[in-house]
Amino acid sequence: MKRKLLATLLAVAMTATLLAGCTQKTTPTESTKTPAATTQASQAATTKATESAGPVTFKVFSNLPDRKTGQGLVEQTMIDNYTKENTNVKITVEALDDAAYKTKFKAYSIEGMPDVVSIWGQPSFLDEVLAAGVLAPLNEADYKDYGFISGSLDGFKKDGVLYGLPRNSDMESFYYNAKMFEDNGWKVPATYDELLALADTINAKGIAPVAMAGGDGWPLVGYLSDIMVKMNGPFSDIVTNAITKGDFSDPLFKQATDLLAASAKADLFQAGYDTQDYATAKNLFINGQAAMFYMGSWEASMALDTTIDEAIRTNIKAFTMPAVADGKGSTSILAWNGGGYAVSASSEVKAEATKFLNYMFKPENLSKIGWENGVGMSAQDETAFMTGKETDLQKQFLDFLKNASNTSGTPVNDCGTATFKTSIESEIQSVCNGTVTTDKFLAAIGAACK
Amino acid sequence: MERLGNKKRPLSKSILWLILIVMAVIQIFPLVWLLDFSLASSNELFTKGLLIIPKKIQWGNYVKAFIDGNYLLYLRNSLLINTLAVVIVVIVSMMAAFACRRMHWKLSMPVKTILLLGMMIPISATLLPNYKIYSILHLTDTIWALLIPYVAFSLPQGFFLMGSFMESIPVELEEAAVIDGCGIYRMLFSVIAPLLKASIATISIMTFLNNWNEFMMAKTYLSSPKWKTLPFAILDFTGEYSSNYAIQFAVMALAAAPAVIVYLALNKHITKGLALGAVKG
Amino acid sequence: MFYTRRTHMNKLYSNKLIIFSLVLPGLLLFVFALLAPIILSVYYGFMDYSGMGKAAADFIGLDNYKNLMGDKAFWMSLRNSILLAIGFICIQHPIAIGVAAVLDKLQGKAEGFFRCVYFIPNVISVAIIAYLWKFIYNPSFGLFNNILKVFGFAGKVNWLSADNAIWSVLLVLIWHGFGWGMLIYYTGIKNIDPVLYEAAAIDGADARTTFFRITLPLMKPVIQVNVTLAVISALKQLETVYLLTNGGPGNSTQFMGNFLYQQAFQAGKYGYGNAIGVVFIAICLITTVLLNKAFAEKKTARRLKNGTAGE
Repeated sequence: MKRKLLATLLAVAMTATLLAGCTQKTTPTESTKTPAATTQASQAATTKATESAGPVTFKVFSNLPDRKTGQGLVEQTMIDNYTKENTNVKITVEALDDAAYKTKFKAYSIEGMPDVVSIWGQPSFLDEVLAAGVLAPLNEADYKDYGFISGSLDGFKKDGVLYGLPRNSDMESFYYNAKMFEDNGWKVPATYDELLALADTINAKGIAPVAMAGGDGWPLVGYLSDIMVKMNGPFSDIVTNAITKGDFSDPLFKQATDLLAASAKADLFQAGYDTQDYATAKNLFINGQAAMFYMGSWEASMALDTTIDEAIRTNIKAFTMPAVADGKGSTSILAWNGGGYAVSASSEVKAEATKFLNYMFKPENLSKIGWENGVGMSAQDETAFMTGKETDLQKQFLDFLKNASNTSGTPVNDCGTATFKTSIESEIQSVCNGTVTTDKFLAAIGAACK
Repeated sequence: MERLGNKKRPLSKSILWLILIVMAVIQIFPLVWLLDFSLASSNELFTKGLLIIPKKIQWGNYVKAFIDGNYLLYLRNSLLINTLAVVIVVIVSMMAAFACRRMHWKLSMPVKTILLLGMMIPISATLLPNYKIYSILHLTDTIWALLIPYVAFSLPQGFFLMGSFMESIPVELEEAAVIDGCGIYRMLFSVIAPLLKASIATISIMTFLNNWNEFMMAKTYLSSPKWKTLPFAILDFTGEYSSNYAIQFAVMALAAAPAVIVYLALNKHITKGLALGAVKG
Repeated sequence: MFYTRRTHMNKLYSNKLIIFSLVLPGLLLFVFALLAPIILSVYYGFMDYSGMGKAAADFIGLDNYKNLMGDKAFWMSLRNSILLAIGFICIQHPIAIGVAAVLDKLQGKAEGFFRCVYFIPNVISVAIIAYLWKFIYNPSFGLFNNILKVFGFAGKVNWLSADNAIWSVLLVLIWHGFGWGMLIYYTGIKNIDPVLYEAAAIDGADARTTFFRITLPLMKPVIQVNVTLAVISALKQLETVYLLTNGGPGNSTQFMGNFLYQQAFQAGKYGYGNAIGVVFIAICLITTVLLNKAFAEKKTARRLKNGTAGE
């Protein structure tokens, strides 16, 4: 009884203080935390106090929750630098991981979309976003001198109007443990058959050949797309055609899927790959339990990640998908522009938000800071930022892009609607582990397009 | 028959004890595992063994979890929201259960059914519509954004349990109280409530735990750190590209600690209340 | 005098104002936070709406429901939820009741200790449980395979393969829910008047007879509560599945709650997801009604039996 009374009193007291606090409108004025700066180029030197406009607050919505490494660090650095240079501006950040981000994005699209948002310049994301009129159009002419690689803006346009800017040039590759290879006398495979043979050798040693995040689905579809580009060269026409008609009977799809399923059957990937996620697969590789790791170029930052054992970290190298026998695309690679930024159409400080967007994309910011932190490649020309201290991985990726005769564009899973994406990312697990035949797989993803 | 019983007892008793102990080990293992892994460094986690003996105990994991995970702020918010939710759920469900079970009115059945229907509502179906409603009422990013749904979702359960346990209270007690001149409210809170100690404790624990680890609604209805709850501390460390499991485990251990403490505290009350309640006569 | 007492109490207990004030808070919360969004949800269930943007798109009537009936992922989720419900009722609950009964007899410090420890997994976040079991199931270095190796097997079982995944997931869910079930049964058992046990002991009943003839029957209401909660929970499963397998590989471990979430939020089929939600609620309703009938019948049947036994 006493306890009850006490509890009720406590509740009343708390509610009273709460109501007192609640009447104040909560305008987010928290400035972002400054991380322990590991960037080699903090541009804190220039502090031109721009008091021209009154105080401005806007919000950045990001899909990079880790603000201490990789892309998240780059993003945070730019935000911090901007607020230092523009003392009248306050920027708040909300960051969630990809899945949570997309869910919240939908909620925001109903009401309250933050001013600057992360987006993906791919149909699976952009189509429904643009159909709902969520993003503000940008003036393409403004970015003439920003050094964007030709074609990189295409995925961010609709009916000729530009809605966002690409942050990354991504490509897929096999990261490999060079020391392990050297110690065992293994050679980087030049053809796909050599890759399979190498896998047998590695398996015999009790090590997983390729760490694959099959549990997440999309890495497997990425792999499939990679095979497709090696078999055929650029495939966007074939894929768009198939998606529009809901018909994946083109022999390219069957051949590629069969090869992927056969590779999985031959134990190319680690045991249980079809339910293990990104982090688990990555951990297998960085702890020396897998010889290779199939993932995107953004992981080039592994070379600078001090939490990884030095013996492994300094010995990570990469190679692209080896040529497939009788393939027409041996010099093509799977590369695309995925992540990017945009301004919300309902933003009340559009001018300021766009100004910040442009600031981020000035080559000396995003591209330079990204490059210096070993984070993959931006969508802009980065040759001016070579410091001479590049990691081997970074140089390798630059070479891959340079030497490719052409690129594929968006991987298959992101070429259609979100429904198609969910379907193919789930069905691919089944076709890889043999639960479902290739024909059934192709029929299922075709049905998802209708 | 008696003699056979005597002979069986020591053997079956020891088997019983063995099973109980094995089960206890299985149940407490996750906690032990969590603590163990949280004190290791990330690259030791993929050991072939079951538990790791870390080469060096990484207290740093906890320090990072505490500071970078905004632990104190999130803890304060979690404690505040959850305590309030529990108190409100207990009071409201007791009132409603009493009305529906004991009081005489025609609509008691329909109302009871309606309130119980609440249990069948999946949270994910209400995420976006509730977001829209709260958004229009400017409730998003406030304490109400979480408090209201947390109470609402725990209410049917509490109502259900409260009602079931109330049935075991003899009507004679209420009659006696009425003779003594008690009004309904006074009777409810002075006479009936004390007898429901076990149920109150159970419902409190259930409500508390339902909401302590809840993150789906928290992720959707909150944006700024002001009202973020403990699960966010974990979410803050889970990035697509983040591979520092060890710190995540430290964060989880810190997040679990208050829940364990609250549980241990309320746990005793179940026994105390039962001791009193059982002798109601 | 008895008559007046009754009328007085009756009047007090029929006081409309008091009744209203008692149920008002509960009803208000219910309507605002549960009913309103569900009505909106039902509305969206008739739409072809991606979930993005302000305007809901086209009205397509029952198309979502038609598609749902033909969706094999839906039937898989239903099957899995039913399997789980059976697992709860047939495996988890008997063990829970048994343990609760045993604990009740233990008395003293041991009882408190075990009761406390058995509930611990439910106190820590589901995320931790999911992580832990992912580790345990890992083919290369997980606990289960390690144990197999100790016993001389190859120890290369893929616990989360397309065939095995659902059983592995069921194991986790059944194990995890144990604490709750035990707690509720325990509270129920504690509410039984010890006088009854004394009477039984005098009559010479041993532990087993007491349990089956006295404890269990008196627990009927609690059992009904618990079973209903278990079935609904089996349908609602979301967080654990999401973290363990997200319905994969393929759709083999899909559950209704997770399927709803996936369709509404990941596949951009918000309207469809809401239709799933409506079907979900309908199934819960039907199950509850069926369960009510089943338990009511048992009560009447028993009463009849007892009646004819000449008591």
